[in-house]
Amino acid sequence: MKERKKTSPPRSPLSPFAWVGVLATTLFVGFIVILIAADLFYIDGAAVLALFTKPFILHALWMSLWTSVATVAIALLFAVPIGYTLSGHRFRGRALIDTVIDLPIVFPPLVAGLTLLVFFSQTFLGRWIEQDLGIEFVFQPKGIVLCQFFVSASFAIRSAKTAFDEVDRRYEKVALTLGCTEWQSFRRVTLPLASRGIVAGCILTWARAFGLFGPLMVFVGSFRGRTEVLSTTIFLEQSIGNIELALAVALLMIAIALVALTAIRAVGNHSMVKL
Amino acid sequence: MIRAEGLTCTLGDFALRAIDLDVAAAEHFVILGPPGSGKTVLLECLCGLKRIDAGRVLIGGEDVTAFEPRRRAIGYVPQDYAILPHLSVKENIGFGLRVRGVDRAETARKVTAMTAMLKISHLLERSAQGLSGGEKQRVALARALILSPRLLVLDEPVSALDESTRQEICSEISRIQKRLGLTTLHVSHNLEEALSVADRAGVLMNGEFQQIGTLDDLLRRPRTIDLARFMRCGNIFEGQAEVNGSGSAIGVDGGRIAVDGTHRGAVWVVVRPENIAVEKLPADRNLGENEFPVKLGRASDLCNYVRVELDGPIAMVAHLSPAAHGALTQRAPQPLIARLDREQIHIIDRSQDSPRHRTHAD
Repeated sequence: MKERKKTSPPRSPLSPFAWVGVLATTLFVGFIVILIAADLFYIDGAAVLALFTKPFILHALWMSLWTSVATVAIALLFAVPIGYTLSGHRFRGRALIDTVIDLPIVFPPLVAGLTLLVFFSQTFLGRWIEQDLGIEFVFQPKGIVLCQFFVSASFAIRSAKTAFDEVDRRYEKVALTLGCTEWQSFRRVTLPLASRGIVAGCILTWARAFGLFGPLMVFVGSFRGRTEVLSTTIFLEQSIGNIELALAVALLMIAIALVALTAIRAVGNHSMVKL
Repeated sequence: MIRAEGLTCTLGDFALRAIDLDVAAAEHFVILGPPGSGKTVLLECLCGLKRIDAGRVLIGGEDVTAFEPRRRAIGYVPQDYAILPHLSVKENIGFGLRVRGVDRAETARKVTAMTAMLKISHLLERSAQGLSGGEKQRVALARALILSPRLLVLDEPVSALDESTRQEICSEISRIQKRLGLTTLHVSHNLEEALSVADRAGVLMNGEFQQIGTLDDLLRRPRTIDLARFMRCGNIFEGQAEVNGSGSAIGVDGGRIAVDGTHRGAVWVVVRPENIAVEKLPADRNLGENEFPVKLGRASDLCNYVRVELDGPIAMVAHLSPAAHGALTQRAPQPLIARLDREQIHIIDRSQDSPRHRTHAD
């Protein structure tokens, strides 16, 4: 009987350079997995049960979810037009605007909260908004969204600009000659082509908003059943020595982030949609 | 059909300056020019994609200067074709019809007919990504033609293609253009491409038309030295002209050249390589007018002709047929002459040179 020959080509051995990449990836991923595993082994069943039975945790979960999603939605409303304008137009002061947009990314977290607090409590415009218009942000749920937006919208704007930069403007030009108005060429051509980058920006924005802690503590506090979100729950629980519950909440946040990131990434991979 | 009057457009340091252009109905007009000369900018101004500073654009007698691109009825095929990557071939071709509100059934019918005409029906269901250069070119052409434009504008339509596909597409563009009687503006930096399709052409350099005319005019009677060089006139000599009887004699470095017409002062003498005859000098004959003793220098076989450098009192380049070149090189060495035909010698007055050339030459 004839021995069958294997037809698949032999695998080429990894080069030393490729080994560096493999090693770095293994170390980093391993580091994260080990940390999460350590948390997992630390918590007990009672803490996990508390996640789904304690009303204040369920409320904090709901607050974290809706505020972070609202933040992404509002950030998108700003990111798309700003990113498109900064990408397609050259004008005086553009570099300065670019820098100002990036500022919130490098703000120390507490400074961001403090800045908002000072604005609404110490300036005429802030007081007018709060007192005369009656739109209250300080120590209010609305303040969570504002705080998250202030700290994370820059990621959405930066990603949108990069995404629009990568779209060849000749596509738009062709669309204009084919019968599109400027809006139609944007909606039917540029936006679908930039959508992957915009979705990536949404991921970053959401992740930043979802996990925000420092500025929230300063600007809206952590009032149980009112302005408490999961990140502040962790702080409150660990400050009273309830480490198991704090870690259980942390793992819940990680699980939600994992599901959300996977889902958004999957959408992003199919997001060159024909809008 | 399309006319530009005094069209001016400034983009940073570059400017299109007072462009006048008149292209007749059903004419295939080629805008030639080196890279960076403003060809694409001019097309975009005509299409309404770039704002102009002055002048106006008329299509079919109608002033469309203030019209948006979509109201100009121009079929535009940009460089590299800009096939929309998120749509299929079918959706790309039907894109313009759908945007204009044509229903799906009618769009599908027209797309089918157009792709049949361009012989790309087999591509309909393909994604735009992964098409070859030639396929993209045909898809872009179909997308432009399906809207029945008044004017077809092609920006370097074959520059990204390999040689054989380039010739095939040029023939196809020419065939479709003649069949539909479509006025066509075609931008290229390639002389062979222009020769294969153009009814007339204009050469754009540094934002200005150097000359507009038939290709014969551009090749044999260029108005400027820049144009002569761009049209690969090959033999360009600096000289001093003086009137001599009914013609003129021009002293160039290495000899004197007799030409028709009266010329005085500093001139450029331009002779195309294909207009230089190289032959053996019979033993019983002396050199005649415009005949110069030469030796064959480096020869390059370019398939249709042989480019030969001629060493002699005046260094020249000639294009000879392979047979003629073979006859000159086969037998024992014999004195050779290069002969310039008076009627094929073109003179450019150097007083019309740009300052750059005057500084260099004087």
